[in-house]
This record gives sequence, structure tokens and C-alpha cells, in this order.
Amino acid sequence: MNKALKNPMLYIVLILPCLILFGMFFLYPIFSAIRYSFTSWNGVSATPKFIGLDNFTKALTEERFWLAARNNGFFILFSVGIQVPLIIFFSLLIANVKKLKGLYKTAVFLPSIMSTAVIGILWGFIYEPNIGLLNSILKVFGIEPLYWLADEKYAMISILLTNAWQWTGFYIVMVLAAILSIPRELDEAAAIDGASGMQRAFSITLPLIKPIISVVIMLSIAGAMKAADIVIVMTKGGPAGSTDVMATYMIKYAITNFKYGYGNAIAVLIFIFTLILTALYQLLVARRSERIEY
Amino acid sequence: MSRLIKKLLPHIVLMAYLLVILFPFLFVIFSSVKKDNNSIALNPFGIPKTFEFGNYVEAWVNAKISTYFFNSMYISILSAVVSILIASMFAFAITRMRHHKISAILGAVILVGMLIPNNALMLPIYLLVKKLGILNTHKALIIPYIANALPFSVIILSAFMKSLPSEIEEAAVMDGLNAQGIFARIIIPLTVPAMVTVFIVNFLGNWNEFLLANYFLSDDAKRTLPVGMVQFRDQYQMNYAQMSAGIVYSVVPVIVLYAILQEKIIEGVTAGSVKG
Repeated sequence: MNKALKNPMLYIVLILPCLILFGMFFLYPIFSAIRYSFTSWNGVSATPKFIGLDNFTKALTEERFWLAARNNGFFILFSVGIQVPLIIFFSLLIANVKKLKGLYKTAVFLPSIMSTAVIGILWGFIYEPNIGLLNSILKVFGIEPLYWLADEKYAMISILLTNAWQWTGFYIVMVLAAILSIPRELDEAAAIDGASGMQRAFSITLPLIKPIISVVIMLSIAGAMKAADIVIVMTKGGPAGSTDVMATYMIKYAITNFKYGYGNAIAVLIFIFTLILTALYQLLVARRSERIEY
Repeated sequence: MSRLIKKLLPHIVLMAYLLVILFPFLFVIFSSVKKDNNSIALNPFGIPKTFEFGNYVEAWVNAKISTYFFNSMYISILSAVVSILIASMFAFAITRMRHHKISAILGAVILVGMLIPNNALMLPIYLLVKKLGILNTHKALIIPYIANALPFSVIILSAFMKSLPSEIEEAAVMDGLNAQGIFARIIIPLTVPAMVTVFIVNFLGNWNEFLLANYFLSDDAKRTLPVGMVQFRDQYQMNYAQMSAGIVYSVVPVIVLYAILQEKIIEGVTAGSVKG
């Protein structure tokens, strides 16, 4: 019995392809990024020059880097502060309607399986100043056309709205699944005791779906830290760098301006910031809402 | 009366939300059959009086949608299939073979891959691909796509394989089957349902991927659909009717897939993110 499933040669043959690819595309890049982050290198010449922490001090004192980091912060604030309440609200609504549940679920999920690039193009058209949907609607109310993506005042919020439009439904479906898995008796018992719909939502459903809300927030933070393609497609970081996020700032330096060492230092900073945020969140918030059993 | 309002109110709110989600798509579909920007401006919301299907023909030719479409299709399918193959070999080895200590360590190592923000690794991967001499070939996307999908695929497949009862192998060994046979003839066929889920998630991820596809390929004829669309937009920005037709082309395959497989897709995509 044990002999057939012990066969060490076979074991090695089976695990090797996966381990090689994992080493090449996960482990090696991390070490490579850390290594080059201490160098000044254009990505082409033979020898990278070791410059210690210069890249990091440069990034951390550069105003445009902090502008980019701030925009990542806006992504997080927008999703945690505005999207999460909406997600909870809509999933409660969908969970409590009797008819059309399937339709709502299917429709709200749709944008999240589409390419962010294509959604960026689509919304670019909606924001178009002269013939776009949004200004056409505003015109009905007699409001002058706004330059959504070309005006520094509105560009970032326009991107955040598009991002929310794409991802809110995805999280709604996740939260909805959690709500629907709560045993019905809990809700029914409370209803018999005379609790109103509002009271039941706040004192029964919400506490029970805390863990999944926590997951949604974690995913939002992770998503916010790696946001890049939506910005590249919609504004390319403009106008005047006002919508750059850390990842697009990194790409601009490394690939477009051949500052490979500096770009890698930004990559390492993205890592560190993500680690700090997740650790902080875990320590401050998630710890308190441990596992729930019915 | 008030009971009726109470019943209808949630539906009214939800319908408003659906309108926000679906109207942009309608807007693009309507615009795609309008003559030019001017007719979009004159009648932004409604269905046009005369339908202009020429936009679809021109977008197909001008935007080379056919080329991008084919590139995206074969890169996405090939990468997804190879990931599943490699991941299922690995998952079989660590869940069903008798090397438990090493297996536990290997499983934990792969799990770490789920936690790595992969956009941040783009530069070293760019360099690696360049060193391998495959920059600006489809391999520059296929190989990283295969690798990127591995942690998720391994996690889902090994969770599934772990749940299969061990009596299966015992019976198979009694009947004289060796480990390769158990893998190929017993475990793989039983794992097909999980593989379908993993395939859909990997396929969608590859189909929609933009960053690597944008920076790792420079020949126009090799581009994938998302990158090709962005480029088309930049070139024909003035002609929104034609651009809308292009958007319809790139969105329709996903909608068709979604219409057929929505339950599987929702289950797979959300499972992936929770496990991550």
C-alpha cells in the first residue's frame, strides 16, 4: 500500500514544475526587487551601482511619491468608508426580498468579471465632456459640462467612482452568501419576539456577518494597494500626476524613464506599506471579531 | 397600502442600482449603432432612428479585433490549462502521496504566494522575461500567467483532493494500480468539478489581464484584446460610435460565458478571493 504512494522519484517529478515556476515568478522577483532597490541602475548596463538607502530616502522625500501614496489612501478610504456601507445595505436588501433575488445577484456581479481596461474605456466615454453620458444628464438639469478626467479637481473621484462601479457588486455577492447562510430560525425567533426588520438587521445579521465584512475590508486594502490598470487606462496618472498611484509611479520611473533601481525601491515600499496596513488592521480590528458559531 | 409600499420599496431601490449598473452598457450599445459623434450628442439616451451597423464592420477591420480576439483566446486558454495540469500534479503529490512532512511545508510555501501583491513584482518579472529572451513573444505572457495562477489553483485543487476518501487508493492499490495510474485514472477524473471552477477563474484572469500584456509586448499583431482596445481608443478617440462597437465586441464573449456559467463563475471567483 504505502510503497506505491511513496515512490520518491514520482513525487519529485510531480512537484518540480510547480516549484520551478513558483521560484522563478514569486521568490526570485522578491529577492531581485530587494537587491536592485539598493542600486542605481538603468536596467540595461552591465553593472548596477550600489548606493545603499539612497533610493528610499529619495522616494520618501519626493512629493510626487507621497501624492501617489495619498491616492492609494483615497482608494482605501473610498472603499471602506463609502463602498462597505453600501455593500452591507444592498446585500441586506437583496437577502430580504422574495422575488427577483437571482436577477439582482446576477446583474450586480456582472461588471466584476469584465476587463478593467475595457471598463476604463467605457467610463472614459461616459465622462467625455461633450457627448458623454454624465454631462448629457447634467445638461438636462442645466449644468455646464464638467471636464471629469481632465480637471484635477474631479479626476481622482471619477476613477474612484468607476472602480466602485466595477467592484461593489462583487462584494455584495460575497456578503449576500454569508447572510443567506445564517440559519433562518435566528431571524424568525427574533421576529416572533417582536423585533422590527431594522432591529433584526442591526442586532442579528450584522454581528453575524462581521467576519466576512472583515474579509471585504482586507480585500479592499489589498486591491487598493495594487490598483494600476484603471489609472493607466483612464488618465495615465494625469492631469499633472494628480491621479498617479504607487504602482503607476513605479512603472513610470522604471520602464518609461529607465530608473530600474528606483522603481524597485518603490516596489519594496508598496510591499512594506501593504504589510503594515494588513498587520495594523489584523491587530486593531479583526482580532476582536473572532470566529462565530451559530 | 403601507404594506404594499413596504414590499415595493426595496425593489425600487434595487432597480435603481441595476439601472446604474446596466445603463452604461445600454448607452454603449445605442451609441454603437449611431452615425457619428454628432448624432450621439443630439440624442444621447435613446435608440437611434436609423441603425448604422457599419460601425461594427469598420471596428472589426480598423481595430483588428479579430487578431486581438484570437490572441487573447489562445493565450488565456493555453495558460489556464497548463496551470491546472501543473497544479493538479502538485496537489496530488502533497495531498495523496506519503511524504507528509515535506508536503506540509510545500503547501505552506505555495500559500504565501497568494499573499504577494503581484503588481509590485512586475519589474523583476520584466527583467526575467527579458533575460529569457522571450520579451515581445506570446511566451512572455503565457509563462507568467501560468505561474501567477498556480497558488490559487493549488489551494482549490488540493482542498478538493484532500476531501476524497482514502479508501479509493487502497482499493486501487489492491487491484495493482501504481501511483501514476491512481493519479491519471482515479484522482484526475474525480477532480474535474473543481478543475472547471479553477479553469474559469484562471481564464477570466488571463482574458482581462492588462499590465503585463501592455508592457511585455510591442508588436501590434501580438497584442491581446484589452491592450488592443486601449490602443484603438487612443487612435480613434474622435469616433465614439466606432469605439462603442469595439467595446461591444470585447464585452460580448464574457457576457455569453457568464450567461451560461454564472453559478460556477460566481462560486469560483468569490471562493478565490476568500481563500486569498
